Amino acid sequence: MNASATDDQADVERVLAGHISAFEGIVRRWQTPLVNLAYRFCHDRGRSEDMAQEAFLRAYRGLGQWRRDAAFSTWLFALATNLYRSELRRIPARIVSVSLEDIAEPPDPRASDRGLEDGDYDRDLAVRRAVGALPAKYREALTLFYFHDMDIGTAARSLGLPEGTVKARLFRGREILRSKLPQLLAVPHLKEAL
Amino acid sequence: MRHLTEHDEAEINSILSREDDILPSSGFTVSVMDAVRREAAVPPPIPFPWKRALPGLVVAGLALALIVVAGVAAIAQLGKARTPQLSMSMPAVPPPIFHGGIGSAVIWTVLALLVAFVSVKLSMRVGSGRT
Repeated sequence: MNASATDDQADVERVLAGHISAFEGIVRRWQTPLVNLAYRFCHDRGRSEDMAQEAFLRAYRGLGQWRRDAAFSTWLFALATNLYRSELRRIPARIVSVSLEDIAEPPDPRASDRGLEDGDYDRDLAVRRAVGALPAKYREALTLFYFHDMDIGTAARSLGLPEGTVKARLFRGREILRSKLPQLLAVPHLKEAL
Repeated sequence: MRHLTEHDEAEINSILSREDDILPSSGFTVSVMDAVRREAAVPPPIPFPWKRALPGLVVAGLALALIVVAGVAAIAQLGKARTPQLSMSMPAVPPPIFHGGIGSAVIWTVLALLVAFVSVKLSMRVGSGRT
């Protein structure tokens, strides 16, 4: 058990014993990952903090439900992911309001005059928008997969799904991206590289 | 249409992996802890008094069952009295439950008022915490 996991367990025991201030240790350790995970879902800094705060509150309320057979971080990420997914279903992020058909439009030819950095930026934005425009189940699988450094097992535990299901969703999501992205990736420097 | 090459796939992986990380604002921890303390200060919700409510629920269940049985019996009697024609229209003859005339209607009304009165008194007692 690593230091973080030991600290988590100790803090949880203290909070459950009535020392509310011990929860601060948990917040300090996990605030950056939780805010960043929320940011990957909604792409809005203010909203991501609101969502992360709600996730911490729910974690506090449900602390007694954490079973010690899984790491605290696994439980916390699953809880946060579940909350973020529901929240995004309730009020979708602005980035997902763009349809895949709109995304698939070829990039502005003027991008080539703006230099490589602008081209890179456009392409990055286009790829992220294409992911944002995917159906929720594929988008969520891809978001969690890349957030957890392409670790399917961790992504599956966060989503509360079997690894096989996540693999299938990643495959299907990539298939959709594959059909939509060639035009988007056709920016000058990539053309040269191919 | 051009197909994605391995290079493109690697490019997509690279783009999606290097998504910008953000740092929580300086007051985030304080804000969360304030919310947690507010949450902790709220008294726990009062559990539903199943023990006290059980007799009322049983009586209500029995009353409902009686009404259903009486309704079914009334419809069955009506079916026998009518010709064996299948019809979805409203019965022209009122069910036997109404045959008693005004006296029967008064009894049913008094009974309904009594049940309502007992329900209200019971719920008020449960609500005020008296036994």
